[in-house]
Amino acid sequence: MIDPRLHEALDGERDPAELPADLRESYARLTGAVQLLEGTPPVSVATRVMAEVRQIPARVHADNPARRLGRWLSRPRAVTVRLRPVWTLALAAGLAAILLLPSGPENGGAPPPGDRQGVARFVGHFPGARSVEVVGSFNDWSRGTLHLRDDNHDGIWDGDAVLPAGQHEYMFVVDGERWVADPLAGRYVDDGFGAGQENALLIVRPAVLPPSPAAQP
Amino acid sequence: MTNPPAGGSLSVVTDGTPSDVEVVARVLGGDGEAFGILIRRYEPGLLRFATRMLGNSDAAADAVAESLVRAYRHLAQCRDPVRLRSWLYRITGNRCRSHLARRHTNDVSLSDVPPPALADGSDTWAVLERGEQVALVERALAALPEEKREAFVLKHVEGMSYEEMSAVTGARIPTLKMRVHRAREALLAALEAFV
Repeated sequence: MIDPRLHEALDGERDPAELPADLRESYARLTGAVQLLEGTPPVSVATRVMAEVRQIPARVHADNPARRLGRWLSRPRAVTVRLRPVWTLALAAGLAAILLLPSGPENGGAPPPGDRQGVARFVGHFPGARSVEVVGSFNDWSRGTLHLRDDNHDGIWDGDAVLPAGQHEYMFVVDGERWVADPLAGRYVDDGFGAGQENALLIVRPAVLPPSPAAQP
Repeated sequence: MTNPPAGGSLSVVTDGTPSDVEVVARVLGGDGEAFGILIRRYEPGLLRFATRMLGNSDAAADAVAESLVRAYRHLAQCRDPVRLRSWLYRITGNRCRSHLARRHTNDVSLSDVPPPALADGSDTWAVLERGEQVALVERALAALPEEKREAFVLKHVEGMSYEEMSAVTGARIPTLKMRVHRAREALLAALEAFV
């Protein structure tokens, strides 16, 4: 058991010069050991890593700007309408119905899935959220491609996406900053980055024509 | 142990070079070559950390290379680029743990290497050559349990705060403090036994 004063000195909370002689010796031994460990190995993996990185398609991160713009323009937008005067209710409901018409391939009203594709429905309960979107292995964990909707303002956010059949990992991003593993997913996998965090797991089965929701998280 | 951290816990760069956040944005925007900036910035510390964890520089180089490629592939998944350093150390720590878990029996770790022989009557730390001192300290470090070794290296060799260590390891701060304390005690006892 080390004298607490030595720990305090090692944590920078006490002047080592104030330590008794025996503790000063221990302090010097430990700090000397650390100095010996501070040497940087004389190797580099930079060339090897960059060679491997260059083999990875750029689309892992980047998308064609024109395509992104087109997708942004065609994407349904969630609109928050504050209804104060009661007489605006009908007008606002009509406006919201027009603005939220599903039109993109990644929301409700998705086109029929092709071969080896299925439709995944994402549902989450996030009362008070301003936005909820889904990021996952199917969209390279990129935000801005799959937004959920809460048409009824009841905190239930949902949306559909046509995805390749197979296994996908995903997370919800709430209000653009809070990453949440789908509490209803039922299946989870370690996110691979340690620290015990998990991604939700989704298995998409090929749809059978006529198209029908074939997968649930 | 007042060594400065090998890099700030936050991506604040004031010497005119782009911050981590800026570099991450460039890479995510399609400029893959910009990832080289991050490699140059963090490679030395990651290699040092992995070497101390694995006790083998070749295995450490593999772990760091795999971690950096993995980081590149999943950069969009980095939830807080301001704390990129913690994220990279977390990935590397995870790779090291995986490596240790599946370490082949014919791997030779530093803890298996016999300590350097001391000449008769020369059993004092001061007379050891620097190389012998390094070997002794590495051996003492390698003898620590994995979690305590990690905590000690992150705290004292990489100069991290307990908050950043918590972000790297996922462990709570009181737990980390306890691991560092235990590691200090074990390391001190081992060093005193060697010399």
